[in-house]
Amino acid sequence: MPKQILSFTVNGDKTEVLVQPYVTLLEALRDEAGLTGPKEGCGTGDCGACTVHLDGKPVASCLVLALQARGRNVRTIEGLGTPTELHPLQDAFVRHGVPQCGFCIPGVLMAAAALLDETPAPTEEQIRYGIAGNLCRCTGYTKMVAAISEVAGSLKTKGAAR
Amino acid sequence: MVLPGSVDECVKALATHGAGARTVAGGTDLLPQMKNGVVKPAVVIDLSGVAALKGVASANGSGLRVGACATARELELNADVRKRFAGLADGAALVGSVQVRNLATVGGNLCNAAPSADMAPPLMALDAEAVIAGPKGERRVPLTAFFKGVRQTVLGADELLVAFVVPAPAAGSGGSYIRHTPRRELDIAVVGVASQVTIQNGRCVKARIALASVAPTPVMATAAQQALEGQALTPELIERAAGLAVDAAKPISDQRGSAEFRKHLVRVLTRRTLTAALARASA
Amino acid sequence: MSVMKTTRDVKGVGLSIPRPDGPDKVTGRIQYVADITPRGLLHAKLLRSPHAHAKIVKIDVSKARALPGVRAVLTAKDIPQLKRKPASRAHAVLALDRVVFVGQPIAAVAADELAIAEEALDLIEVQYEVLPAAIDPLQSMKPGAPPVADPGTEADLSEALAHSAVAMAKGEAPTTKAINVSQTAAVKRGDVAKGFAESDVVLEHTYRVPMVHQGYLEPHAVLAEWDRAGNLTLWASTQGSFNTRSEVADVLEIEDNRIRVIPVECGGGFGGKIRALCEPITAILARVTARPVRYVMTRREELEAGMPAPQVIIRLKTGARKDGTLTALEAETVLESGAFSGTVLAVSAVFLGSLYKWPAFDIKGSEVLTHKPSVAAYRAPVAPQSIFAIDSQMDAMARALGVDPVSFRARHLSHPGDPMANNQPWASMGAPQVLERAAAHPAWTGREQWKKGAPKGVLRGVGIALGGWLGGLQPTGATVKLNPDGTLAVLTGQVDIAGTNIALAQIAATAYGVDIDKVKITTGDTDVAPVTGLSAGSKTIYTVGVAVMQAAQAARKQTFEIAAAELEASVDDLELVDGKVVVRGVPNKGVTLQSIGKKGNLYMSKVEPVLGASHPAFSQQAPAFAAQIARIELDPDTGEVTLKDFVIVQDVGRAINPLAVEGQMQGGAVQSLGIALTEGLFYDDKGRLTNPSLLDYRKLTAADLPNLETVIVEVPAPAGPFGARGVGEPPIIPAPAAIANAVQDATGKRLTETPLTPEKIALALAGNGAS
Repeated sequence: MPKQILSFTVNGDKTEVLVQPYVTLLEALRDEAGLTGPKEGCGTGDCGACTVHLDGKPVASCLVLALQARGRNVRTIEGLGTPTELHPLQDAFVRHGVPQCGFCIPGVLMAAAALLDETPAPTEEQIRYGIAGNLCRCTGYTKMVAAISEVAGSLKTKGAAR
Repeated sequence: MVLPGSVDECVKALATHGAGARTVAGGTDLLPQMKNGVVKPAVVIDLSGVAALKGVASANGSGLRVGACATARELELNADVRKRFAGLADGAALVGSVQVRNLATVGGNLCNAAPSADMAPPLMALDAEAVIAGPKGERRVPLTAFFKGVRQTVLGADELLVAFVVPAPAAGSGGSYIRHTPRRELDIAVVGVASQVTIQNGRCVKARIALASVAPTPVMATAAQQALEGQALTPELIERAAGLAVDAAKPISDQRGSAEFRKHLVRVLTRRTLTAALARASA
Repeated sequence: MSVMKTTRDVKGVGLSIPRPDGPDKVTGRIQYVADITPRGLLHAKLLRSPHAHAKIVKIDVSKARALPGVRAVLTAKDIPQLKRKPASRAHAVLALDRVVFVGQPIAAVAADELAIAEEALDLIEVQYEVLPAAIDPLQSMKPGAPPVADPGTEADLSEALAHSAVAMAKGEAPTTKAINVSQTAAVKRGDVAKGFAESDVVLEHTYRVPMVHQGYLEPHAVLAEWDRAGNLTLWASTQGSFNTRSEVADVLEIEDNRIRVIPVECGGGFGGKIRALCEPITAILARVTARPVRYVMTRREELEAGMPAPQVIIRLKTGARKDGTLTALEAETVLESGAFSGTVLAVSAVFLGSLYKWPAFDIKGSEVLTHKPSVAAYRAPVAPQSIFAIDSQMDAMARALGVDPVSFRARHLSHPGDPMANNQPWASMGAPQVLERAAAHPAWTGREQWKKGAPKGVLRGVGIALGGWLGGLQPTGATVKLNPDGTLAVLTGQVDIAGTNIALAQIAATAYGVDIDKVKITTGDTDVAPVTGLSAGSKTIYTVGVAVMQAAQAARKQTFEIAAAELEASVDDLELVDGKVVVRGVPNKGVTLQSIGKKGNLYMSKVEPVLGASHPAFSQQAPAFAAQIARIELDPDTGEVTLKDFVIVQDVGRAINPLAVEGQMQGGAVQSLGIALTEGLFYDDKGRLTNPSLLDYRKLTAADLPNLETVIVEVPAPAGPFGARGVGEPPIIPAPAAIANAVQDATGKRLTETPLTPEKIALALAGNGAS
């Protein structure tokens, strides 16, 4: 099947790749744009490992056809924080000892970042529902919730960080 | 992949490509089906660029027009939907996870027509109509007549679902949708029940009860509805209606739940949604 | 034997230090196999059987081979080394003439793109002759059941050996040939008939835990490439690179030296990645095409054709007198192993007969083959299921006798030195201390008050359970070298899954005498590292930790000897303070580590480079126990269980890194709760998996759980590094029993089959289910 040009913005950069129509956004990011941070854990939207931001909203990128992202803004884990500074959520995850095998982490961080964008002062329940679309098999989620809660608390005092 | 910009272009594309084409909006049902080899469309028509299909439009006092490509997340968060069409907000909030709800559309949820579609029973209980565009123009179908069987609707191969219109509930109305799932997120309804009641002068003047996952299509529990209309909704009457709703359910046993358990849940969830709808109606 | 300890006051053992690969993990920089894309990469796909049991009559791959972009299509006929009768799952690379489970690979494709490989699968034409299948294990045990194994193959004992389980007497083979019973075990003590006759309370239940999947987020993945001299490199998601190398070498009939296994970051294993699965076929495709080939399983393939945990069915009958003394225990255990043998049958019998003191017991176990995917280990294999049985039973017995469930357990609990079921004495273990500590927790002591506060329409219950793991053993090795700048470099072959590397570095730091920030630890591949065992069995810290500790101690000794010569002092008079070896009491008479390291690398120097090595084997297991308390709210109409509080109390011997230990306790607990509440692989009567997706194979989400509280208990293991025990396995064990006990506490109903779904609970309460 002939490929089509996908023009979109990824992590702030204007990007063009070639994809067949059946390719998903996840595959386009990983295979064509060289961004292997988002992972395929299931391919059917049931695990959250592929979570990226599409126009600022957390989505399962395995459920989006790549061409549906034309002209839109995508942010992946590689676009969270800067080359020299971790995003507060990334830093908190490290300090709280969150990552074990690490496979779910990019998706969880993107979900958590979107949660704090929408709900800067979440309750514990809201945090848990905010990452409930991200399955983790190693950690039991408790340290994730603590890390996200800590960042939310400090955002309250410092003002929102990006 | 075809990328139409308007409803007309969609309809033309459907006519051109026929049965080999599938429309895609959020992709949350289509892509898993493609991955499992259940469907292998030769052509995919992307609806995500058609502005006319998006959005939730409402005005105080009037009804709701929900674009076919309005997402579950939009419905979950929309203040007017939460206030006046609460059953629909309940159903939308339960779809998948937040990552799925940002993609899943109400049109996709209903056109996929799984018996478990969470947004179907609330819309049926709200007397919604489907607005369908085709080569011959536009037609409307009440949702109670929209579903024909498992994964089958009245939509022709050359037709496109454009929107749902929901009439404004009368004063004194309230609705609720509750489903049972083994987990709190990422799950699919074992049974779902939507109840919508209108109370005037202490009596129920209108009752709608719609059931998901207990028949090939979502069904209305008409006998239960009739038992409630004209009466005061006492706990005893609610319990009687819950029992009548069980009769409307014809569930199968599958690995998500046995028929016996599903019937049991119909009773429980009908009781609970009627009680919640009544409370919201009185608020 | 005294506990190996040190009094060195450096930043090392005991500190909560985040693992050093954290930053790479939170930025998405760390690479897994599916992220590695070399030039010329080909993608592999496997065609899998749709039938549980069938003869392969004909396979026609001609159309697939002709598809542009397809570089190889293989069937078993194309691979001469495949043995006629595959002795194990790893050897059943592609089915020869018979398939024995749905999902068994029968053909392999390598193509330029994944989509082309998938298309090629559709072009392969296969003719099957469907045969009757043995699906239900209890039916499969009967004489006359459809045969699973090829006649003459030995039961595959490598799994049991991999876990160094306590040996059991082999049971007598039944006289009528039950063709699918591949292992039996039996152990007896005393006279159970007499014991039951003397009992005032006799309870009998059949406990059942279905097959479950380990649930790692990263599916199996491997990248294979050969050089032109016939050497193979495998980048593998594996729990043991040396094990992978041995298995692949065996299947391909080549020497160990011809294979280099590079353990890439592993996205979870939990026992599902301790055996070779996709590596042999991927290696063969790479050889045939002379290109790098990558195979990544889909989630559906993982669930349908992975290597799950066995189904366990335990009929348990126990007796006690009304004064609370135990009289007898009788058990029949069935472990369903799938199409190839591989369960640790003996371990189940050990737990049933050893945890509590029974004057008489009669325990028989059988491993049964069925036409389903064969099993591998899953975090404490057969322990959660066995403890589900014995702990539920003890709880039920206590209720029947009207006594406190904790004091009943404590009264009969084995202590170190008491005989296990095989008459070996229990090694040092902390089960009594763990139970005591759990019983003192407010979640338990305040339970009656808490239950009284139940909201309207909701039942509250509290359950407690105790279980443990015997502790694995495997020989291993490690080296510690001093860098020219005085820092340390540690090398092991241990795959770091649980965060063990930071703990090993802490052990090296404390054993040598420097702060942790002076220590780097590297996991070497099979060409580079000392031979080492699996990251499994809760034995990494217990065994590799000892190797690292001893290697660091050896390096320290060498360092001191060099310093002693230079300082003209006796080694016994030296100490290491702040990076300098000094004469005790004379702080300005010393030599820096930097200077010692530099001299060991200087042109024409006569000073040897410091290199400490250790390569120990082990004989003493270090059992480790955990107790869990579950506080639940139960909706009696829908059967839904909401977990309100959950506490894990665990004996870790010595917490080398408490932060990492907590993570293990919490993660294992959620797997345990999944077994208890939502997980199971369910097959239809044709042996097809009815829930092959994560929608219907339900793993718990963050919204299903409360904060998991951890309480660390330390009962030092005599042979563990600084007293440490393994921590990975105990936390997956108690929850199924704890939840069942909580459900009984809330409702009065005893449920004995997991998962304890809302349906089972609601129907039991409505009077239609088990009671």
